[in-house]
Amino acid sequence: MSAALLEVSHVGKIFTRGGLFSSRRIVAVDDVSFQIDAARPEIFTVIGESGSGKTTLSRMILNIERPTSGALSVDGLDLTTVRTNAGRMAFMHKVQPIFQNPFEAFNPLKQLDRYLFMTRRRFHAEADQATIEVAVDEALRNVGLSLKEVRRRYPHELSGGQLQRVAIARALLSNPKLIVADEPVSMVDASLRMSIVNLFKALRDDLGLSIIYVTHDLATAYYISDRIIIMQKGKVVESGDARAVLNAPQHPYSRQLRAAVLLPGVAAAGGPVSQPANVFREFNASE
Amino acid sequence: MSVEAAAPADTRPPDRSGPILSVTDLRAHFRTTHFGVNRYVRAVDGISFDVKRGEIYGLAGESSSGKTTLVKTIAGAIKPPLEVVGGTIDFAFLPGYGGLHRAPPTEVARIRWRHLSYIMQGSMNVLNPVRRLRQSFVDFARPHIAGTAKEFETAVIGHLARVRLEPSVLAAYPHELSGGMRQRATIALATICRPDFIIADEPTTALDVVVQKDVLGMIHGIQREIGSSVLFVTHDMGVHAHIADRLGIMYAGRLVEEATTPEIFKNPLHPYTRHLISSLPRIGDDVPRGGLEGAPPSLADPPPGCRFHPRCPLAMEICSRRVPDMIETKPAHRVACFAVNGSTEP
Amino acid sequence: MLAILRDLLRYNVEFRIGVALVGFVVVLSALSAVSPYPPQDVYVVPPDVPPSLSYWLGTTSRGQDVFWQLTFAIRNTLLFGCTVALISRMLALMIGLLSGYKGGWIDRALMSVNDTFIVIPLLPILVLFYFVMRDSMSWLMLALIMACLGWAYDARLIRSVAMSLKTREFTQSSVFSGMSTREILVQEHLPYVMPIVFSTTMNNMIWSIGLEVTLAVLGFTDINTPTIGGMIYWANQHTAMVAGVWWWIAFPTAAVIMTFIGLFLLAVSMNEYIDPRSRLGRIGGVAT
Repeated sequence: MSAALLEVSHVGKIFTRGGLFSSRRIVAVDDVSFQIDAARPEIFTVIGESGSGKTTLSRMILNIERPTSGALSVDGLDLTTVRTNAGRMAFMHKVQPIFQNPFEAFNPLKQLDRYLFMTRRRFHAEADQATIEVAVDEALRNVGLSLKEVRRRYPHELSGGQLQRVAIARALLSNPKLIVADEPVSMVDASLRMSIVNLFKALRDDLGLSIIYVTHDLATAYYISDRIIIMQKGKVVESGDARAVLNAPQHPYSRQLRAAVLLPGVAAAGGPVSQPANVFREFNASE
Repeated sequence: MSVEAAAPADTRPPDRSGPILSVTDLRAHFRTTHFGVNRYVRAVDGISFDVKRGEIYGLAGESSSGKTTLVKTIAGAIKPPLEVVGGTIDFAFLPGYGGLHRAPPTEVARIRWRHLSYIMQGSMNVLNPVRRLRQSFVDFARPHIAGTAKEFETAVIGHLARVRLEPSVLAAYPHELSGGMRQRATIALATICRPDFIIADEPTTALDVVVQKDVLGMIHGIQREIGSSVLFVTHDMGVHAHIADRLGIMYAGRLVEEATTPEIFKNPLHPYTRHLISSLPRIGDDVPRGGLEGAPPSLADPPPGCRFHPRCPLAMEICSRRVPDMIETKPAHRVACFAVNGSTEP
Repeated sequence: MLAILRDLLRYNVEFRIGVALVGFVVVLSALSAVSPYPPQDVYVVPPDVPPSLSYWLGTTSRGQDVFWQLTFAIRNTLLFGCTVALISRMLALMIGLLSGYKGGWIDRALMSVNDTFIVIPLLPILVLFYFVMRDSMSWLMLALIMACLGWAYDARLIRSVAMSLKTREFTQSSVFSGMSTREILVQEHLPYVMPIVFSTTMNNMIWSIGLEVTLAVLGFTDINTPTIGGMIYWANQHTAMVAGVWWWIAFPTAAVIMTFIGLFLLAVSMNEYIDPRSRLGRIGGVAT
């Protein structure tokens, strides 16, 4: 079989709304194809506005929605064949999600460590508590936290940035090869955002994970992506190497997106803000 | 630190040269009791600033910075468990009361929409979903605009043209319009009476990037034309860079820095602001950027002294004991930081 | 659990009153264990004696002590109400949660069954059952029948909560943590559904007791086992109101009214407590 970690082949999704006598067809995703190589971990970004189909695409990759046309396969396994419990567990072993709202990622009434222990227990054979705790602690250290900080805590006790990191740690506990992150930093405070974004880079470089990063924010996409596709109304309008596409977009819609980014205007006024970055050199080094 | 003493209720004509809004040492706290569990949240803890006539004052802050509470307090939307425990809010067009919440309802009705209006985050928070747009205009603006109904309608249509909306949207229900159109309608609604002061609370946050730029341009254009002042609240520094004349940075219920927008982006002085600016990624720029350690403090249990000191690389011993004052370090550039301003204690 | 009860008792007036009322009624029913007269026996005491020191609540025209009859009656009525409530809650929960979470054809099938049960007219059906079953209609039988008729409304309520919970992101986090459907429903969703279950339990008890009283007064139940409705039935048979034996009707009625009010107050106060929004407010989270 092919060496593709993820193969998306002419995938489409049509929603029908309406009742018996009148129905509307909404084309959410239209003929999207791309591949992610198993041997080369990368951060693959999907850019789009609301209504572009990017969230529907990510849900199909996570097997939460079924495509109405085309095929999706992970590690050679066609997703439509994933039906049994065992099949679903095997799939989730390889692919894990990160969601947009860190405050909703966990049940507000339950403690956080419960999810971490459970993920570890369900996806690995050994059952004794000590090994599980070591593994959970290691996953948390990978994201810059520790089991001591998270033990017996409720979601409201942590900030958005910390919660998102716990969500990433949970996703890491099944030892996945692919993480699908849908707008993972849009609801995280600006001062905490970059540590999460840097974390994605570290996951790719140190742990060899591939990440599908779905976002509308061109700036963070520029910062970490390897390849990028831009979606509009369900279709892919431009794709290619991330830096190349974002520095010189070709399609009119891509150009519109690029022009709508607000920050370069200020950078042009005073040049890239280099001085403040130096003050925090010691911070950046410790990340 | 500029201070305006609150005068007793009187009928002086509004001061044409002073600021349109003057907030002095405002403190607003939440006090909740659920089944014996008391929580006391110091959401706004000693904030003072002025908004000049005709300027767009940006208020930047992250979640749990208290900026939402500050906006609510200024707008007069104060109900238990929120209470104002100190300080004054003085609008030039409503002198002497120290805040909307202390003014009698007749005064509030007089100034609302005519002198003070709002642009909220969700347009659906303002537009009644079961009434057509025309009705919303009549509900909000008709009491303040003299003339016949026909003249009113003409005025509304003329005003809608400014935000590039066709007259036909008046007959539509809110859900029939797109998000961007709804927000533009909300802007038109808020500006039709040519108010002196507009409070804009995250007006473009829920919009697509392309629509956002459009809407920001519209707000800017209308503001310049009418000459209103705007208190523009958002966490998005890019939006501030684009639209704010002056910028106030909030952290954990207090104002930590205030200066003109170019000055904040070029020469931020407070360590928090400096980190915030340096962490913003830009297209075309490959400089590695970092996140800040720790998390914003809980406002129910804030650290003593300067609230940023647990995360600050320049923290000194005094920072954990005393609260730094907002001092005008450079002309028109205020900072509250002992490391920047020095302190009188050894 | 004890901490919850202590908090409620301390801060909530409705809860205190509710506990007092229901507690009183339960104590009354517990006293039936020490009754000097077997419940079915008649003419064991002088009939038609008004309330006095020797017969606290008077005696009936059938020669029974009203007080001791009442203890049995309220005991049976409460047991009846509890049984119906328990069984129908379990049915409503299972069907509602499953239907809301799974969706698709399971949802459609279950809801068709549900809607059928909603439109069934209760009283005619119960009367029909009585006529068909006559003597074998014990109160247990009646309880089972009513449980089967009483789950439909609440199943739909629970289903709508389950449907909204399904769309919340933490459900997906649970799925991707490897939890099975049953575990998700019980561990993640049940706490959100409990307030509905609780208030509908009280509602359900009130409904079933009310219906049982109605049937008994009309004579459509096993009238030899003493229940509140049964007492009123016999009182009517002996034209107690006309004969002036007011205590035979008044005291059972008062007891059942006390029960209803007590249950209602309990439901209202507990509901406010276990509602997730107020729970979050207590543990310090922000209830959006």
